[in-house]
Amino acid sequence: MHADTSPETTRGTAGTDERDRPVLRVSGLSKRFGGTQALNDVDLDIAPGEIHALTGPNGSGKSTLIKILAGYHHAEPGAVAELDGEAFDLGQVTGSRHDRLRFVHQELGLVGELSATDNLALSRGFARTAFGNIRWSEMERRTTALVERFGLGIDVRRPLSTATPVQRAVVAIAAALQGWEGRRGVLVLDEPTAVLPPGEVARLFDIVREIRDAGAGVLYVSHRMDEIFALADRVTVIRGGRRIATRPVAELTPRSLAELMAGEEMETGHRPRLAPAPAEPVLEVRDLWAGPLRGVGFDLARGERLGITGLVGSGHEVVPYAVCGAYPGPVRGRVRLPGRSERWVDAKDAGGSGIPLVPADRAGEGVIGDFSVGENLTLPLLDRLRARAGRLDRRRESALAEGWIQKVGVRTAGRGARITTLSGGNQQKVVMARCLAQQPPVLVLCEPTAGVDIATRLQLYDLIERQADDGMGVIVSSSDTEDLLALCTRVLVVRDGRIVREISGRDITERALLHAMEGTE
Amino acid sequence: MTSTPTRPAELRPSGPDQPAVPPASTLGALGRRATAALSFRTIGAVYVWLLIAVLFSVWAPDTFPTATTVKQVLNGNAVAGLVALSVVLPLAARVFDLSVAYTMSLTSVLTAHFLVSSGLGPATAIALAMGAALLVGVVNGLVVVVLRVDSFIATLATGALIQSLITMVTNDTSITGVQLLAKPFSSIAQLDAGGVTLPVLYLLLAATAIWFLLEHTASGRRLYATGFNADAARLQGVRTDRLRFLTLVASALLSGFAGVVFAASVGSGSPSAGTPYLLSAYAAAFVGATQLRAGRFNAWGTVIAVLLLGTGITGLGLATSAQWAASLFTGSVLIVALVLTGGRIALPAVLRRRRPPQHAASAAADGSGTVSGEEVPR
Repeated sequence: MHADTSPETTRGTAGTDERDRPVLRVSGLSKRFGGTQALNDVDLDIAPGEIHALTGPNGSGKSTLIKILAGYHHAEPGAVAELDGEAFDLGQVTGSRHDRLRFVHQELGLVGELSATDNLALSRGFARTAFGNIRWSEMERRTTALVERFGLGIDVRRPLSTATPVQRAVVAIAAALQGWEGRRGVLVLDEPTAVLPPGEVARLFDIVREIRDAGAGVLYVSHRMDEIFALADRVTVIRGGRRIATRPVAELTPRSLAELMAGEEMETGHRPRLAPAPAEPVLEVRDLWAGPLRGVGFDLARGERLGITGLVGSGHEVVPYAVCGAYPGPVRGRVRLPGRSERWVDAKDAGGSGIPLVPADRAGEGVIGDFSVGENLTLPLLDRLRARAGRLDRRRESALAEGWIQKVGVRTAGRGARITTLSGGNQQKVVMARCLAQQPPVLVLCEPTAGVDIATRLQLYDLIERQADDGMGVIVSSSDTEDLLALCTRVLVVRDGRIVREISGRDITERALLHAMEGTE
Repeated sequence: MTSTPTRPAELRPSGPDQPAVPPASTLGALGRRATAALSFRTIGAVYVWLLIAVLFSVWAPDTFPTATTVKQVLNGNAVAGLVALSVVLPLAARVFDLSVAYTMSLTSVLTAHFLVSSGLGPATAIALAMGAALLVGVVNGLVVVVLRVDSFIATLATGALIQSLITMVTNDTSITGVQLLAKPFSSIAQLDAGGVTLPVLYLLLAATAIWFLLEHTASGRRLYATGFNADAARLQGVRTDRLRFLTLVASALLSGFAGVVFAASVGSGSPSAGTPYLLSAYAAAFVGATQLRAGRFNAWGTVIAVLLLGTGITGLGLATSAQWAASLFTGSVLIVALVLTGGRIALPAVLRRRRPPQHAASAAADGSGTVSGEEVPR
């Protein structure tokens, strides 16, 4: 394996053994956006039959690099790129760079209303008869052949919106692999597990390994360390647009990789202190029914960090919405906030009790993309910022926003910057600050660290812990076991709409959680 | 200045690190802000407007650069301005109200009908007509918000219903009568000060009210939030359905008022009074959304757009006698304005051009043009 990259050792000449020649080699890759150097002289090489992880904090330049490879941006002059020894140009924006470079983007790029067959045909065209009408049977046969090897029983005729997340991921991969001679190509996967529940990640990994074992190179973009260690052969870390290191994964420990990513020594074994002394409850939930939920009840104590988890579809992801009165369907059950009132509230009216929610889908439900950071922050607080004649007190609004930006450490050009100019982690801080500013007795978080890089993730953990220490009750609904392990003092595992297991303190382990979720105890 | 003693201590994050609002008036910042406020990006339409004025002054030096033209542009576009303003509030909440033109026709014929055929007094006639407009707004709200029909198609449908009502009242002929030309009623539109008629004042009042609502109240902020991302807004406690309903009521009332003013200004109730105003209203609202508060439908941007379009059409009328020039001008301005601003306007999802994910750097640079979403002076 290559310990490092240098043009001398990697230049594929006719004389070298074909096996050693990198299937993809990029060197001297730079990119400027206005005054920002997004990428600075980055080198990258991928060997055939290698899973090469690309990692780095949000805003490090990972996605810029992928977008240049995909032909979405052009590189600055001076970049050299070779695919299997054959040079190709990075200097222009084209639809696609090279037929042997294939991409699965984070959002998968699928059309949910269409079937797997249609989705595959969108990228490679339809088979037609002489009259120009589509030969459906031929198309379906072709699609089935492509999808079948992954063995997930995908119905190629049904709309993808009815498929499971892992099935959709597989269709996206199959779409990328169509007509590909994998042996001398590179498959680029951009954060493919972001949308997958933990139980299904393993299946995706098997598929990725299979692709590698067929001799292709895989560039795997991820900021999840557990995935890098589970899957990758080598890892390239970039930070601030520069390549920091390329190392075989076997030579690294989670700690040393985290240091490379963060640029300083940092704690990765972020474990919570154990369950605090029993305290009075701040939230009581009884017999909650909503969507897949079939009678869920629990108490949340002051200062407690309660995890709720389960497989996708188990119902755990519905609990936060139902508790906050934000579930779109019918809801039954009772909710009480003992600190505020002794009265039980019908769960369908729980919205009125004003428990703030940090929703799972940040772009869709969390932030308002066309609003500034400040406007996003103060949206639920506007009633308190009223001055004469219903006028909004701009001065107080600015002070409020500015104060919270400082307090939770949002990295932004200013409160007036569009929220979408922030990294995912910083957007999440804004969403969190907005909830905290309401001074609620309970904070409910849904997938709080999805798409957040490790450094920001740790900051979010700290922030959440501080709130709990100040006496707030925190509910963390997450399908990411890393969150649960790092944050929670107690975890409720939901299966088939019911709480099947309660794990607390030292018993919260990855293994225990997965077994409880899958029902394999 | 705070009259309501809310709980500032609770609002403010605790701690001595309470940052002050950045000092508002270093000279450099002021200069930058002024530059931003006067940049082509912010008030491009004003520059285009000036250019057009110069152009027509050269083209038709005898007729165009006169006080008469100024009055003609102002008086002639006040009603169009009211209709354009009526669609601003729904659009801010991403609701299309295509029935405004029909509502305008309806109130114009109803006012005329009650005055001429029923012999009612002006106040009663206007009140009844506005009552009908209110009813239209409520029906629109019910269909769009309660029955959840897409507003674009729903208001097209209610527009057809209103048109049938108009035909019922008028048999498709204009209602005329001396009552419409008599003093108290005709004054509504024809009273003037130095040649500038009362409807211009209505336009200014309506624009001020909408500007205040959208820029300076919590409801305005919530309206924009509803338009940009209704799901997120709802989770933050914004009552999006209620707001959408109210915008439809507001647009019906304002366009209904435009119909009354129209009847008073031309002295007849025409069954197709509103139809020509529909395109120009949306053109103005969309061009307006590229001005001042780029990407947000706003009152003064819309007024600027109305005047720009009105000046161009008046100028073309004076310089040439081509009948087709007016629509050509409106269409071209609309397309150019929308192209220049790319996908920055809050189009409904169906109409929104897929926007490439902005890079942080370029987007931040973009943001500096309209810093802080609040300090764009106008």
